[in-house]
Amino acid sequence: MSNMNQAMVEKYRNDFLKEVKANVEEGDWVQMCMQCGVCSGSCPFGPYWDHPPQELFMMIRAGKREEVLSSNSMWMCTSCYNCIARCPRELPITHIMHGLAHYADRLGLAPKEQPTRKFANRFWDNLVKKGRVNELKLGVSLYFMNGFIEGIKTAMAAAPLGMGMMKAKRLSPMEYFGGHGVKDSKGLDAILKKARQIEDEKIAKYNS
Amino acid sequence: MAEDIKIGAYICQGCGIGERVDTAQLAQVAQRDAKANIVKEHPFLCNAEGVKMIQDDIDNEGVNRVAICACSRRAKTDAFSFDNVAITRANLREGVIWIRPDTDEARETTQEMAEDYVRMAVTETKYMSLPTGDEETKYTPNLLVVGGGVSGMTAAIEAAKAGYSVAIIEKTGALGGAAANSWKRIPQRGPYADPEDTGVDALISEIEANDKITVHLNSTITKTSGAPGRFSVDITTESGSTVTENFGAIVQASGYKEYDASQLPEFGYGKSANVVTQAELDAMAKEANGAPLKTKDGKDVTSVAFIQCVGQRSDKEGHLPYCSGHCCSTSIKQAMYFKDANPDIDTNVIYTDLRTPGAGGEDFYRSGQRKGITFTKGEVSEVVESGGSLEVKFRDLILAEDTSEKVDLVVLATGQVANAGVNIEEVDQDEPGQFTVNVDSILNMDYRQGKDLPQLKYGFSDSHFICFPYETRRTGIYATGPVRRPMDMQQAIEDATGAAMKAIQAIENAAKGRAAHPRSGDLSFPHFRREGCTQCKRCTVECPFGAIDEDEQRFPVFNEERCRRCGTCMGACPVRVISFENYSVDSVGQQLKIVDIPDEFDEKPRILALACENDAYPALDMAAMNKVEYSAFVRVIPVRCLGSVNLIWITDALNSGYDGVVLMGCQKGENYQCHFVKGSEIAHIRMSKVDDTLQSLSLEPERVSVHEVAITDIERAPGIINEMAETIEKIGMSPFKF
Amino acid sequence: MADIIATNETILVVGGGISGMTAALEAAECGKQVILIEKGPSVGGRVSQLYKYFPKLCHPTCGQEINQRRIKANKNVRLLTMTEVAEVSGEAGNYSVTLKTAPRYVTENCTACGDCGEAVEAEFDSEHNYGLGKRKGAYLPHQMAYPQRYVLDPSIIGTPDATKAKEACKYDAIDLDMQEETTSITVGAIIWATGWRPYDANKIQPYGYDRFANVITSVEFERLMDPHGPTGGKLLRPSDGKEAKDIAFIQCAGSRDRNYLKHCSRICCMASLKQTTYVREKYADDGKATIYYIDIRAIDRIDDFYQNVKADENVSFIKSKVAKIEEDKASGNPVLHGVNTEGYERYANPHDLVVLAVGMEPSVASEDFPIKVTVNDNGFIEQDEANGAIFAAGCASDALDVNRAVQSATASALRAIQVVNKVAGMEG
Repeated sequence: MSNMNQAMVEKYRNDFLKEVKANVEEGDWVQMCMQCGVCSGSCPFGPYWDHPPQELFMMIRAGKREEVLSSNSMWMCTSCYNCIARCPRELPITHIMHGLAHYADRLGLAPKEQPTRKFANRFWDNLVKKGRVNELKLGVSLYFMNGFIEGIKTAMAAAPLGMGMMKAKRLSPMEYFGGHGVKDSKGLDAILKKARQIEDEKIAKYNS
Repeated sequence: MAEDIKIGAYICQGCGIGERVDTAQLAQVAQRDAKANIVKEHPFLCNAEGVKMIQDDIDNEGVNRVAICACSRRAKTDAFSFDNVAITRANLREGVIWIRPDTDEARETTQEMAEDYVRMAVTETKYMSLPTGDEETKYTPNLLVVGGGVSGMTAAIEAAKAGYSVAIIEKTGALGGAAANSWKRIPQRGPYADPEDTGVDALISEIEANDKITVHLNSTITKTSGAPGRFSVDITTESGSTVTENFGAIVQASGYKEYDASQLPEFGYGKSANVVTQAELDAMAKEANGAPLKTKDGKDVTSVAFIQCVGQRSDKEGHLPYCSGHCCSTSIKQAMYFKDANPDIDTNVIYTDLRTPGAGGEDFYRSGQRKGITFTKGEVSEVVESGGSLEVKFRDLILAEDTSEKVDLVVLATGQVANAGVNIEEVDQDEPGQFTVNVDSILNMDYRQGKDLPQLKYGFSDSHFICFPYETRRTGIYATGPVRRPMDMQQAIEDATGAAMKAIQAIENAAKGRAAHPRSGDLSFPHFRREGCTQCKRCTVECPFGAIDEDEQRFPVFNEERCRRCGTCMGACPVRVISFENYSVDSVGQQLKIVDIPDEFDEKPRILALACENDAYPALDMAAMNKVEYSAFVRVIPVRCLGSVNLIWITDALNSGYDGVVLMGCQKGENYQCHFVKGSEIAHIRMSKVDDTLQSLSLEPERVSVHEVAITDIERAPGIINEMAETIEKIGMSPFKF
Repeated sequence: MADIIATNETILVVGGGISGMTAALEAAECGKQVILIEKGPSVGGRVSQLYKYFPKLCHPTCGQEINQRRIKANKNVRLLTMTEVAEVSGEAGNYSVTLKTAPRYVTENCTACGDCGEAVEAEFDSEHNYGLGKRKGAYLPHQMAYPQRYVLDPSIIGTPDATKAKEACKYDAIDLDMQEETTSITVGAIIWATGWRPYDANKIQPYGYDRFANVITSVEFERLMDPHGPTGGKLLRPSDGKEAKDIAFIQCAGSRDRNYLKHCSRICCMASLKQTTYVREKYADDGKATIYYIDIRAIDRIDDFYQNVKADENVSFIKSKVAKIEEDKASGNPVLHGVNTEGYERYANPHDLVVLAVGMEPSVASEDFPIKVTVNDNGFIEQDEANGAIFAAGCASDALDVNRAVQSATASALRAIQVVNKVAGMEG
């Protein structure tokens, strides 16, 4: 993976486009964009994107690998699917954005402090442990994501909510200790391992 | 004319005419003043009974001139259509009662107006006869196609399929034209996904198998003379032998040249062998015939940049100001040559506006993207050789930065330049955006006005009319394909089929002595009284269609089959020796003279309005439908074209005591709307000289005005008349009343 | 209608728009017998609803006048209005066609005097003005209508209005008992010149055509400029009659979009460029236009028109497919939201009026043809031997501008002539 991190891309040659097509979920579609910009305009989070989707697609074609993969932008997607609904060329933009984010993360190029990325990684780590999301642990880890003092403050602020949920039996403090998971956790591990293996092979194959 | 004139005048009382004017009085006027032989009133002239009444008079009473005094000549044409008689219309409805208020005060002037129109209509019939048509017509079901490319071959095949024989003249040694040098063409049928066979071989075999089509290879035209139905063409081979053949009509499919890329040093053409034009790339592909394309130094191509709009859509000197229409799709097609052979080859199309219109275009664009062709909105500034490859420097307009791309091969979309022969109008070469292709003449016509088809713009021999794309200024000769307008092959095929249609129509029309568009079917043609001619050449110079040549003594030689019957020659003639059977200096002149001119102290001025029958006259009709009022003092006479207006009409009008003259023609100039191309413009020039006449009569220049009127000028056209009425009120009545 | 004479040397042209008129006239002026049928009460089609043509900025009425005169003068053309094709069977050179003619309720006696129109009270949305204005229940379709004959709206039949119309007519031209007529004819070739319709703007939800009064379509905009149109030729916006001086044009409204029409409708870019000149014509230096586009497709020789408009500093171009329109409640201004993709800039631009450059779709859906014809994915008729002697002319064959439609119609006339000439045994 290391050599891919440093891959040199010639401008406007299709090296990076090909890399995206091979390795990014729905990356095949990037070439179909006609730069109308309706995705960028339709996105409710639009103003927060440094590079809106259509621009990212152009950057991919222009071979701006570093800029794209280290960009904050695709992490802005909240999966509202507005862009997909509007795209005149049928591009599954939401999926491409997630695909790009995931790929950047795998390569270790994603911005380290990107909050969406941090949340996603915590979510994932939490999930794969037992095959179910442990909401309490996830919540607590998120509270303390930005340091201990920040965590205490956030926790205090959210305390009434937590008490209410406990009363309504929507939250059990016991979950903090172990918590329940899927029945066949070995099976889950096997699935995840296999998936990881397939992806690695794909990248290795592309890279060879 | 020798035949006895028997005029029937029929006065309708319907549509309120009977209530608004005294039709009995009109009948009296028709009989007494205008000397109609039979005069009848009818409560509803256009119904079956009224029409029968007229027909009976034609059949039983020998009426051969019919003056319908009812509604506009544009209305009720189905009812008032009688065979074998000359018909005129007095416009009492749209021309009188609908444009005047229904008040007691207005009654007198409204009546006078109606009476004058009746006088005029009856008088007009006296000075016109039924056109008998040209008696020396020829049926020559034989078509000449100039150029053996896709357009020419298509025109030939399509005309042959309709039963006509065709000769194709091709300058080179083989049929096929530009397309023959292409490997494939842009798809013409769904799903519009892949380049397809050019179809050139199929066309050639079809032509070879068709015994109605003969082909003259290595041949050019050394002389074209004659007219539709009797073109005589000298066909000369490379070796110098000449045959003369007769044709009924001509289709000129002389194609295009690719713009000379060496005029664009910034794109590296000529400096690097790996910068090629679209045509060159296609030739390379054809030669390779599916094998991988190599660079000029024999290396595999790994990347190609296609640069769109090279030297096109540009106002730089020497560049083409237009878009050639096909190049976007052509680049997609050519990028597919690479992608289909090896998807790993990078192909980037650098464009400013990607133009792939219509149902197929967008599918083809998508197909190109699906195959991995990339598209970059950008403006290329330079192509330079750098380290064995080419560096394309450009501004990426989406990413808003100056950047560059290194490629093995650059393809330039340089556009089409029409092969239109000699620019007979010799456009000023220095004028920006205007240029000519300095080549030999294509048709070598012996026409007075020049050797080739007039060029419309940017060197293309196109029609100026949106509604009439095949309108041509040389009757019976139709330009088609890229010589007419930049186009791709699919469009050229459609275009050539249409041109073949027009050509066989010209053959049929010529045989019957019928005019071509826009007076299609008109059998009248100019008669010329040689004895009176002063050989001034105005008619031969001004004819918008080059229909009139000159003989050795410089007398005009009219070629009836070329004539469009606009009457510009009649308007031009200072000695008034040119006329049509049903439209002449007299048929209009006598009308304006029979108008009753009241005494100077009656304070009832008279205004003569000469209105183009296609635009200004309908505008006045529609104004009437909207009940827009205008002066009761005007007398409107429709004319075929303002170009047909002879100065004598103006002089006669002023001499007979008219107080003002208004001329209404179509828009002239660059975006001319005149259906006879130059008629309106010529009229404006002629009328600019009317001041001398006015001066010699000691009349104010304001008494004559010329206007460009559109058919939609429903308020403005009446306004022009009213303005003249106001002007007269200001400057006073003409002293020439008697 | 018993007097229609048609043989297998006759050409049937379906549709009386400019393509159909052209096809019919070109064939007729070549000496062929032609029956031209039109569904509506008059010929002219969509062209008669345009103010000006690009790129010459001339008036379509002018060519209409010539074409109408050609029809009036040519006895080879038989025109049947209010007539549609009900059935077709047979093969090239020998088709049996059943025509259905709807009752007009007005006979050839009509002089177009207009008395019936004045007598009738009921009003309906004017088709000619795309519903922007009203017309009477007895009406002349428009000023240039040919045949110049009134027509009664079928929904007034049986009402007192119908009686009023009949009583007002001095010429016994109103026949309230007129019935639909069916005619069977034989023809040798058929030309489909059934034309196009504007894409239904209501389907483009984010643009709020159905919600915002000041969002109109390009075809409606043409009607505003017509001196006979709903605003008497003034550029006023629908919500409050305010002068529309700052106008946005949205390209590809329904075209080049898999959600709507996949194809490019070809005419819309030039139409919008043309319409910017209307704004300037009406408001001179106060008139402003903004074109939101993906690609400006001013194809071939007429690209110079685009260059000229681009040089006008009151006209701006933004490369962007507008994402959505909202309405500023206070001003009634539509506000356009989106991203200028050239350099990535977001905008929220208010305008007085928005014109949607709506796409072109074939008038007749492929499944509605009375006989099987080959159409492409976009619904346009393809040239195909399987179609026998059925040929498409104009926008039935592709999204075309007027010039190209006429070109296509002229070509189709020849294709039809080839068939009937073969029938006549003329071909060698």
